[in-house]
Amino acid sequence: MERSKVLVIDDEPDFVEMIRMALERQFEVLVAYNGKEGVAKARSDKPDAIVLDIMMPEKDGFTACQELKGDSTTASIPILILTGVGEHFGRTKYTKMSGMEIEAEDFIAKPVDPNELVRRVTALLKK
Amino acid sequence: MWRNLKIPGLMHFRTLRSKLVFSFLLVVLAGGLASTMIGTRMVGNTIIAEAQNKVRHDMASAWMVYQEKLNRVKDVLHLTAKRDLIIRSLVGRDVEVLRRELERLRIEYGLDVLTVTDNKGVVLTRTRSPYQAGDFQGNDELVRRALKREVVATTEIVPQEELAKDGPELVRQAYMEFVPTPMAKARPETKETSGMMLKAAVPILDINDNVLGTLYGGSLLNRNYEIVDKIKDIIFKGERYKEIDTGTATIFQWDLRISTNVKDKSGLRAISTRVAKDVYDQVLENGRAWVDRAFVVNDWYIAAYEPIRNLKGEIIGILYVGTLEEPYTDIRNRVIYSFFGIAFLGVVMVLILAYFITRSITRPIDELVKATEVIAGGDFSHEVPIQSRDEVGHLAGSFNRMTGTLKATMDELYVLNTKLQDLNRHYLEMLGFVTHELMQPIGVLKGFLVMLDDESLGPLGTPKQKQAVSTMLRNVNALINMIQKYLQLGRIESGKMEVNKVHMPIFAQALQPILEDERQQINARKMEVVIENEESFRKVEGEADPVLLRIVFSNLIGNVLKYGQEGGKIWCGFREEPEEFLFYVKNEGRGIPADQLTKVFEKFSRLGGELERARGGTGLGLFNSKEVVERHGGRIWAESEEGKWANFLFTIPKVPKRS
Repeated sequence: MERSKVLVIDDEPDFVEMIRMALERQFEVLVAYNGKEGVAKARSDKPDAIVLDIMMPEKDGFTACQELKGDSTTASIPILILTGVGEHFGRTKYTKMSGMEIEAEDFIAKPVDPNELVRRVTALLKK
Repeated sequence: MWRNLKIPGLMHFRTLRSKLVFSFLLVVLAGGLASTMIGTRMVGNTIIAEAQNKVRHDMASAWMVYQEKLNRVKDVLHLTAKRDLIIRSLVGRDVEVLRRELERLRIEYGLDVLTVTDNKGVVLTRTRSPYQAGDFQGNDELVRRALKREVVATTEIVPQEELAKDGPELVRQAYMEFVPTPMAKARPETKETSGMMLKAAVPILDINDNVLGTLYGGSLLNRNYEIVDKIKDIIFKGERYKEIDTGTATIFQWDLRISTNVKDKSGLRAISTRVAKDVYDQVLENGRAWVDRAFVVNDWYIAAYEPIRNLKGEIIGILYVGTLEEPYTDIRNRVIYSFFGIAFLGVVMVLILAYFITRSITRPIDELVKATEVIAGGDFSHEVPIQSRDEVGHLAGSFNRMTGTLKATMDELYVLNTKLQDLNRHYLEMLGFVTHELMQPIGVLKGFLVMLDDESLGPLGTPKQKQAVSTMLRNVNALINMIQKYLQLGRIESGKMEVNKVHMPIFAQALQPILEDERQQINARKMEVVIENEESFRKVEGEADPVLLRIVFSNLIGNVLKYGQEGGKIWCGFREEPEEFLFYVKNEGRGIPADQLTKVFEKFSRLGGELERARGGTGLGLFNSKEVVERHGGRIWAESEEGKWANFLFTIPKVPKRS
């Protein structure tokens, strides 16, 4: 069976490395280091799921998420958002302190427990 | 005593100024009234006294006129007695010649009576028809003395039968019936038949100085107005006041007006009226002069009455002079009106003066009051203008110095406060920045440690390596916990913590996620979580901010986990009260000492001190929880039985209050 492709978009290399190691055990991991690159990779490589950080240079996760959800070729890809500490999030909605909201399939707060992340991604792929 | 003088009603005035004006007025009124009263009284008395003095003086003049007339009678007789023709006729007993000559002289000199007697006192001839003669007059006091070579003149009462000897004319002239006079003394008589006469008697001597006889004669005063009118002309010069003669004179025969220029109501001379009883008693009975105001016939006069005496010194009548009182009372009234007018003007002037004076007194005070209001309003730069060097000026000066000092202090405080705020902001910004930036590398650390710990990156070689990784993981978790608390604190303190209340299921959105997050920790400490009344707890929905409420539950659960007894129970529950929901989180363990129950909610407080620091407490969890709960309009507190259990409770109002 071919392993699912998970795209990790985050600007912090060490953090990406940690996530990659956690996910590699079960998935094929693609990485991008900013929002712009991430959106491009999502369009070209068609991952099965995306783990998206919010605070990034060159197009933040917030904008990237809106673009991906607004593009018919990528709209169906489930997105797991990595949120900053203490920001307001529900199970499917994320509200910035400014009051703006995005919708994604799931959210997980930093700092991330790798096992929890694997469980969440697995759950997303099952849907 | 004067210090305590309180003027009633003065405290009711609302402004200082009206008080001052009223005080001024009071003083002026009191002073004005007193001086007016004293002044008018003094002036009134002086004017009346002056009038009385004048009347006394007039009286003396009146006597002079009266005496002059008497002297004239006497002189006429004296000169007549020395006439050659008279002496010769008398020596020759030529009565016819004598009578003719004497009658001519009597008429020429205006006498009423002129009679000649022989040296025995028997009348030789009278000079009026029917020229009666032959009666004896030697008993008459004047004739008797003239026979002894004396020249005498006096006022005498002449009985009717004596008058009758000179014919009926004189009887008619003297006869008077009393006119009823209200204030007169009651008398049994109703008429007067005798007359009062200015009478003189002289001896007639021959060349050898032998007494040949006497000449006597006189002027009847009854209805003869020569004297009184002359008095009036000389003294009062015919002055009139409001068509009334100011000066009057009267000759009384006993108490009867026989000659006067006082007019009655119909404008005729008021003869036949009588003198007032007071005057009667004093002048006629006691023989003393009477000087006072008197009501004479129709008007008030300032009057003088003096007795007229006969040759023996008996009182037979009164001489009166009087001046109309009205001119004097009018003068007095004019003076009094002037006094009142001046007093009134004074009051008006004082009021005007008081208006300006009090303004100059109260204006600085008003300005001071305005300034205090401005300053009370917070404007410390306002200055009171100093306009005077009196107490008010001092006060204004002190006031300016005070506000100056205040302003300096305020400015200093403002600068300090701004600095403090800046410092605090920098501190909070740094706190936020540091904690936020710390989270990133620590997140990486935590991720790798988790994977190392569960050996998903490969087995760890030795138990010591395993223990080291496990310990690192535990400490990283504690560190993350601490950082989260500081992040919460930063948001609370910087005032950025907005409460976004939504209608939410409390259990599902606040408590459950925390219990899930803490599952590992709960399991690690082998504790059991009991949800009390779980079915209804799951149904509770309230108005709250889910993120903030999670912070509360997270802190409370974290707390009871940390300090709870390993292997013990944790109870979570709620109660519905009339106006609020009450939630609680309770553990088994050593509890909290009673004196610590409120302190645990203070910032940086930590149960048990140093020992707890090892467990990664920040002393912020409960403080943050308290802030959150209070911003929801609720209360939070702790209960405990030491050594057995601790319970943390908080409330959320059902109807959201503004917080």
